Amino acid sequence: MSSNSIRILAGNSHPALARLIAKRLGTDLANVTVTKYSNQETAVTIGESVRDEDVYIVQSGCGEINDHLMELLIMINACKTASARRITAVLPCFPYARQDKKDKSRAPISAKLVANMLSVAGADHVITMDLHASQIQGFFDCPVDNLYGEPSVLRYIRENVPDWKNAIIVSPDAGGAKRATSIADHLDLDFALIHKERKKANEVSRMVLVGDVKDKVAILVDDMADTCGTLGLAAKTLMDNGASAVYAIVIHGVLSGKALDVINNSMLTRVVVTNTIPHAEKKKKCLKLDTIDVSAVLAEAIRRTHNGESVSYLFGHATI
Amino acid sequence: MKNIVLLTGSSHPSLARRISESLGVELSRCNLGKFSNQESSVEIKDSVREKHVYIIQSGCGRVNDNVIELFILIQACRMGSAKRITVVTPLFPYSRQSERSQKKRLPQHQIGTEIMSSLLQTGETSPSLPQGAFAQSFMGMTSGEGGYRQWCARAGTLVANLLQAAGADHLIAMDLHDPQYQGFFHIPVDLIYAEPSIIQWIRSEVPNWRQAVVVSPDAGGAKRATSICNKLNLDFALIHKEDLANTESMGLVGEVEGRPAIILDDIIDSGSTVGLASEILKRHGATDIYAIAVHGVFSGPALEIIGRSPVTAVACTNTVPQEEFRRQCPKLKTIDIAPMLGEIIRRTFYGESVTQLFVHEEQT
Repeated sequence: MSSNSIRILAGNSHPALARLIAKRLGTDLANVTVTKYSNQETAVTIGESVRDEDVYIVQSGCGEINDHLMELLIMINACKTASARRITAVLPCFPYARQDKKDKSRAPISAKLVANMLSVAGADHVITMDLHASQIQGFFDCPVDNLYGEPSVLRYIRENVPDWKNAIIVSPDAGGAKRATSIADHLDLDFALIHKERKKANEVSRMVLVGDVKDKVAILVDDMADTCGTLGLAAKTLMDNGASAVYAIVIHGVLSGKALDVINNSMLTRVVVTNTIPHAEKKKKCLKLDTIDVSAVLAEAIRRTHNGESVSYLFGHATI
Repeated sequence: MKNIVLLTGSSHPSLARRISESLGVELSRCNLGKFSNQESSVEIKDSVREKHVYIIQSGCGRVNDNVIELFILIQACRMGSAKRITVVTPLFPYSRQSERSQKKRLPQHQIGTEIMSSLLQTGETSPSLPQGAFAQSFMGMTSGEGGYRQWCARAGTLVANLLQAAGADHLIAMDLHDPQYQGFFHIPVDLIYAEPSIIQWIRSEVPNWRQAVVVSPDAGGAKRATSICNKLNLDFALIHKEDLANTESMGLVGEVEGRPAIILDDIIDSGSTVGLASEILKRHGATDIYAIAVHGVFSGPALEIIGRSPVTAVACTNTVPQEEFRRQCPKLKTIDIAPMLGEIIRRTFYGESVTQLFVHEEQT
């Protein structure tokens, strides 16, 4: 049996990340064009043969999510009908991950719908990063690799937060406590939690701090920052309780709506996001933003999947 | 009608309202919108438990948004224990499949045909051209370098599978571009035809229609056009596009001298087909030229092309919202198919025969 090669296809959601991944793997992006017909339907044209190759399609759930989701599905289907050997969907930020349960009557479980659509389109494998709820892996029948940004976050804290040995890790809500305690244990730091009473969606009310942050650098850790209402209020609560500075580190920086204004007007010293979602434009408007590059983690996962090696090394160690 | 729930997506709410009026059933309340990160948000306010749900969504406007919203609506109804979910798509999205027609719809090809047509006199480029880096690689690809014939993805099977995977039990669609598409599904598909409505419009709105000639603007639509001209007892003509390298000339097969001509097509998208066809018919001596299509998509400069062409009037059904187009182009008329869709829904709900609607009596 002849060996096949890695082909990386990029959609329109985050071509910069795809290029970084390809560079790290020592290859070029495959020749694929994704545009729209004049009636707004998506048009995908593959310009090279992918017969019997190991195809990785890099598309993040950000920006115009529905357009990017359809692009991904059509690309997967196009590769399947073009006889690719295996098709892996690489979704740094999984779309519709927050609608993962039926919390009120007639609510759709859109994460399950996305999982069904990916399987129906023909994906054999899914690689994603920091799923909102890791149980989403169970929605799929195909193997799912849920990578962690934690090792990269730990390295960032050690290298970039001055006086990190006196810092304290804070979770901005009760749901993220597990994530924050894991980081606190790895760094041997203290832990605190903010408990909020939420009245309406995207509107936060009273916040109560559990733990002592006096005279320490507080590091807020969360998986997603969308409108940043939570982060802004959390920073204020921490400063009111005596913290010396407040950093926020999130994996997926959606930063939609008025998020940048909220960050600029808040007491946050710095907001750090990974590049699962593109934010080069946003960095120009908000100088407090900083980036953790996770293309190396994704590229390593792709390489190990292709070679049949274990991926679990990446769960505990940051890539070089 | 008890136990029926009518839901509409955001693609064509005005059609859904007309259908609900003709049925006498109110649309169920549903909040549609987008979260701040652009994900679609769907909230169904009324109970759908053990009811027969009809979801009305057309593949027009922002197609990808409407398609994903449709899937989420279906899923929400399934999770809400609906008994049966029927999807009504007046214009089915991603329905044009044959590779030849798809390549032609790509922006670079559109530029080619439009420059050649004497109708487009402005020097601007088509609004549908891809920008920036993609344009470079795109132009290189379509010129066929490297010896590899590019693989144009056909999304038809995918969309059919996705609809079934989301949980639809039944599909009602109008005038699919390829009728064989029904076979892609394992759920029952009811195809409805706009033909009776079109015939009625011709009889009432085209003066001296008895002398008219029905013209098909390409070879593929000949069967559609002959079907109508047989029922109306009219003559038939065909326009044949001869592709010679980079120039396209069209020839007329049949006689239209001194008679009104009715061009019949299933979709008017870019408007170039109708524009070129009407020029040819005028040259061959047609008196009035009418263009009738089932789906009036009118993307890009289509309305300008039609405005400048010798067409007297263009009639399309309201499978795609037409109000905005009518404001921009006074030649545009609308054939209302909401009563027919309402009738289909009523018959499928009560388990009656649908074909009765399409038995047509011959009239002189």
